[in-house]
Amino acid sequence: MKMSRCSRLSNAYRQCRLILPRVAAFFLLMLALTFTHAQQQPALKHSPIDSTQRFIQWLNIADLPNRIADSVESEKKPGFINNAMSFIRNKDFQIHGFLGQAYITTSDNDVFGNSDNGGSFGLTEAGLNASMRPLPQVQLSAQVLSRRAGEGNSGMPRLDYAIFDYRLFSHDANQFGVRIGRLKNPFGFYNETRDVAHTRPSILLPQSIYFDRTRNLGLSSDSIQIYGDLEIFNLGVLSTQFGIGFPIVGDRDTESSLLGVVLPGQLNREVTYIGRGIFETNDKRLRLGISGLWLNTSYDPSRQHHDPLGPGALQFTPVIFSAQYNAERWSLTSEYAIRSFLYNNHFNNPALNGLDFVGESYYIQGEYRFTPKWEGFVRYDALFTDRTDRDGSEWASQLPTRSGLGYTRFAKDITVGLRWNITPAFMLRGEYHHINGTGWLSRLDNDPSKEGHPSQYWDLFAIQASYRF
Amino acid sequence: MPRSRHSKHKTPILCCALALCLFFLKTEAEAHNHYRIVTNAGVTDKKISVNGLRSIFGMRMRTWTDGTKIRVFVLADEHELHQIVSKEKLNVFPYQLRSTWDRLVFSGTGQAPIQVNSSEEMLQKIANTPGAIGYLWSMDIDENVKVLEVE
Repeated sequence: MKMSRCSRLSNAYRQCRLILPRVAAFFLLMLALTFTHAQQQPALKHSPIDSTQRFIQWLNIADLPNRIADSVESEKKPGFINNAMSFIRNKDFQIHGFLGQAYITTSDNDVFGNSDNGGSFGLTEAGLNASMRPLPQVQLSAQVLSRRAGEGNSGMPRLDYAIFDYRLFSHDANQFGVRIGRLKNPFGFYNETRDVAHTRPSILLPQSIYFDRTRNLGLSSDSIQIYGDLEIFNLGVLSTQFGIGFPIVGDRDTESSLLGVVLPGQLNREVTYIGRGIFETNDKRLRLGISGLWLNTSYDPSRQHHDPLGPGALQFTPVIFSAQYNAERWSLTSEYAIRSFLYNNHFNNPALNGLDFVGESYYIQGEYRFTPKWEGFVRYDALFTDRTDRDGSEWASQLPTRSGLGYTRFAKDITVGLRWNITPAFMLRGEYHHINGTGWLSRLDNDPSKEGHPSQYWDLFAIQASYRF
Repeated sequence: MPRSRHSKHKTPILCCALALCLFFLKTEAEAHNHYRIVTNAGVTDKKISVNGLRSIFGMRMRTWTDGTKIRVFVLADEHELHQIVSKEKLNVFPYQLRSTWDRLVFSGTGQAPIQVNSSEEMLQKIANTPGAIGYLWSMDIDENVKVLEVE
């Protein structure tokens, strides 16, 4: 039974590996077609004088920032630039990006680099995205992301999303459509834009729910998604998304989180389901959400390296409940997650075989906007790796090597922070955490064999500068 | 005694002056607050529901009823007219609009509205961009743009 499911899944995976490059090729083809179309049209229909006039006319109506238009001298325009500009305008081409640098210092334990020894500039985030609407119902968008954060993320740029979005139905607030490509996983309030400092309430998101350790696993997946906005009487709008796809599991931090160690084999991508519904009142004061993920992955041991681990499979099925209230000056946000892990019996390792536990996390956060430029927040964030063993004592008593390490199975974090929006594009902020427990600490950054066991009580202070456009 | 008589004479005059002041202040404020939602002259839609309008400025509704593209123009978040339109017409705070747009742009599921620097630029862009929608003080509106009725 299990075998047949596995083989079906791996068949689906193989098929997907065949399909994805085709989808990508289709994207490129479409882009190229629309571009050449835009180039040819004016050349066919208009004389050069005509097209210059059109260009001058365009200069007046450009949607683009003035500086781009100003830097172009209309009389000397070669046809190509002319056509490229009109292409950009007609297809509603937009470019946005962000850049953030944080400085983090901790009393004990390492977060994103060697932070407990004089602090570290180990967290750098940068991204660049482009989007366009070649047709009224179609949007294409893609983002490249670079994230340098401790041992887990080197800063190597990678494709964060590449989306083909087709709107099937649209009437007033009711919208329905489909998205295909590499999509951000709609999970909780913050997951989709978690790397953009301006969209986060704090430098470090509440780690109990938005683990930075397994971030790539939950961040985006190669999938197909249907979405819809539905007007609920005159109360508000229900936005739902449902997707089927393959998660991105090929990084060391994820492996170490799920298996406890980094081994020579690799984690396989298997079919994963994700869904989210958010109800928002018309005045956006109240937002209520529920998100669910059904993630499957299996371990592929390396034969050459005498891998100690067997070909096990695991299932991770977290559910998040989210709620937010927004007033003019303040916002109150809370999210609660229940995370179920299920490991099968093929890992050849007593610590993993048949492992079945449910984690629990929640946070409550208050934000206050003193002025449009100054904002502050306080938050209490709690994580329990196993909800039936909240202080980790049972887990610690199972093996002699775990003695006294119960605090690695939970984390309770009190945070206060201040944010200064110097301009709409440029922001500075700082925050202080006092943490009891190390439940969400990265094992790659805190290797017990090198630095001994982590400290139970610790403090973290961070400042960050961030720019976006 | 003389003091009380004195104040009896003064009170009605003061009241009248105050009322007059308030009246002028109010009419001035009303004239100042007078704004409309405007579109490019080529847009065939003549009226829209508040929810539809909110969906447009929330960058979720992307096409007019005839299937042509909607292009949204806004002023800066801190601009007085933007704040008034957000709070009164759309019934949301400007910071909520901003965070909605950020979520769309950085998750790849939508685009941001095009920001202009002044009412003059708003008028010019809306007059010259097919499918454009924005807002203007009533006194700035001319025949090159069309007023969209909000129901």
